[in-house]
Amino acid sequence: MGKEELFQERFNRYTTALKGGKPDKVPIRLQLSEFMAAYAGITLQDIYYDLDKNIAAVDKILADFDMDVIGGTPSLWWAGQHDAVGAKYLKFAGRELEENRQFQYVEDEYMLADDYDAFIADPTKWILESYLPRIHEEFAEPGSYRANLALIKGTAAMMMSTGASQQAGAHWAKDFGMPLSIAGFSKAPFDTLGDTLRGLKGIMMDLRKRPDKVLAATEVLVAHNIFYGMATSGGDTSLPAFMPLHRGSYPFLNPKQWDTFYWPSLKAVIEGMWKLGKQTLFYAEGNWTPYLEKIAELPDHSIVFHVDQTDMAKAKAVLGGRFCLSGNVPNTLLAYGKPGEVKEYVKRLLNDYAADGAFIIDSAGVMQADVKAENIAALIEAAREFGTY
Amino acid sequence: MATLIDELASAIAELEDEKVLELVTTRLDSGIAPLAIVDNLQQGMTEVGMRFESGDYFLSELVMCGEIMKDAMAVLEPHLAGADQQHRGSIVIGTVKGDVHDLGKNIVVMLLKGAGYNVIDLGIDVPAEKFIEALKESQAPLVGMSVLLTACQEGMKEIIEEIRAAGLKVAVIIGGNYVDEAVKNYVKADYFAHNASDAVKIADEIFTTARGSAHSA
Repeated sequence: MGKEELFQERFNRYTTALKGGKPDKVPIRLQLSEFMAAYAGITLQDIYYDLDKNIAAVDKILADFDMDVIGGTPSLWWAGQHDAVGAKYLKFAGRELEENRQFQYVEDEYMLADDYDAFIADPTKWILESYLPRIHEEFAEPGSYRANLALIKGTAAMMMSTGASQQAGAHWAKDFGMPLSIAGFSKAPFDTLGDTLRGLKGIMMDLRKRPDKVLAATEVLVAHNIFYGMATSGGDTSLPAFMPLHRGSYPFLNPKQWDTFYWPSLKAVIEGMWKLGKQTLFYAEGNWTPYLEKIAELPDHSIVFHVDQTDMAKAKAVLGGRFCLSGNVPNTLLAYGKPGEVKEYVKRLLNDYAADGAFIIDSAGVMQADVKAENIAALIEAAREFGTY
Repeated sequence: MATLIDELASAIAELEDEKVLELVTTRLDSGIAPLAIVDNLQQGMTEVGMRFESGDYFLSELVMCGEIMKDAMAVLEPHLAGADQQHRGSIVIGTVKGDVHDLGKNIVVMLLKGAGYNVIDLGIDVPAEKFIEALKESQAPLVGMSVLLTACQEGMKEIIEEIRAAGLKVAVIIGGNYVDEAVKNYVKADYFAHNASDAVKIADEIFTTARGSAHSA
């Protein structure tokens, strides 16, 4: 089969499942991430800093494993781009960390409690004038020669990395017949606020001390996060936007907090993108079992619900038929299990949850260097053996 | 949910941050022994831990309680110098080398302190040498290790091997989102805990029954 034909076959298989249909086979989508570097024998330092090696690691995987879509490169971002602007909130292998250490995000209260009013009044202005200077050494004094240069370097680096990603996507399509699994990225407004602006301690204290500000800030972020999802996907509506979900996982928030602060703005972002034809990959990290009924309020097929530690049987019972599900081969099984055990798990998973379509097989969480290659091979072999309709 | 008689203990349990600081200050001023005030704070934290276990409280409440306790202890600490604090035993804890995630660890530390243990918190990115040094110095019979990044589980295994090779007879308990029976067996830990209240239960079991001897869960 030609690569173009192969691409079309895989793309149809994947998008049929996304829309709730029953393709010829259960699509295989694996969040291989840093495992790809380990498998290709490339250090993490090289993966983070060398865009060509970051892409070469994927090539090695695509040459050796039969999958239907690929999520992108092992590194989420190019470390050089962050170095160019002196990002203080990230640490990379080869700079602050040993050469084979996973990158680290340094969580802090980069936005202070006193910043809420300015943020709510004009988020872009506040981000440009207060937030960016705080988190980037090179941009510490906006308007200075050094800061102006940082803007130019940062923009150039962003264009370089985005360009490299686009070229890589075209290369995987042409040379491996491999489609991408996602287009674009967005977040829950509460996570935007809680992950990168206020930090966990900050946001949790805010829920008690300044709940109105939290609510106003998440409302302000709705339009931004819809736009961000559409902008980062370049307007594509054939593939879902990736949305990693964090602080809404059980048991971070109490039910009242979840209903009040987490869900309404997240729902608004998902519905806003859906109105523009954009589906969301609801990447529910951790356990979301208590919230399934609420999630079921979303418009049919507006999300693909990814199962990590959520109860798969309950997810199927509550969301099945209206939403595609994905997941959930345990990461510890892929790291410490034997190929026979992986096959057994996949067989049972597909038998119990994939019979009527609208199912994508994946690991439960994002994979790292600890996963064994023979277990990935076993997962794929079993998915083909027991996942052909 | 239990209602606590002491006003300060109750204020902690109800997460009334301003009231807690006010009560700590007025009690210090009125000459109440700082250790007695710590006892009341611990009662409040124990109640918070129980409410978490029963599902009345969530992580948001535990994080808030941790922040309130931190502020209260900052007021109390200058007054505690030289005071002979009673505790149920020492526990060494840290996030293993390569990993910097400490939300889970901090909550476990808080609940263990609330339960009356002397917790030696080594922080994040902790190598084997630091664990061994702290264990030798404190003679703690239990060490807790936290890991979120699955790629750091291999490092956790090595740390445990080094602790055993150093001849330390301590029980090892591990925790983290992706920690389960398979990880416990792989890294050769003695126990694993799915959440903070399980960790406290296991600690209680170790300190009341098999003090100091490592055995499997």
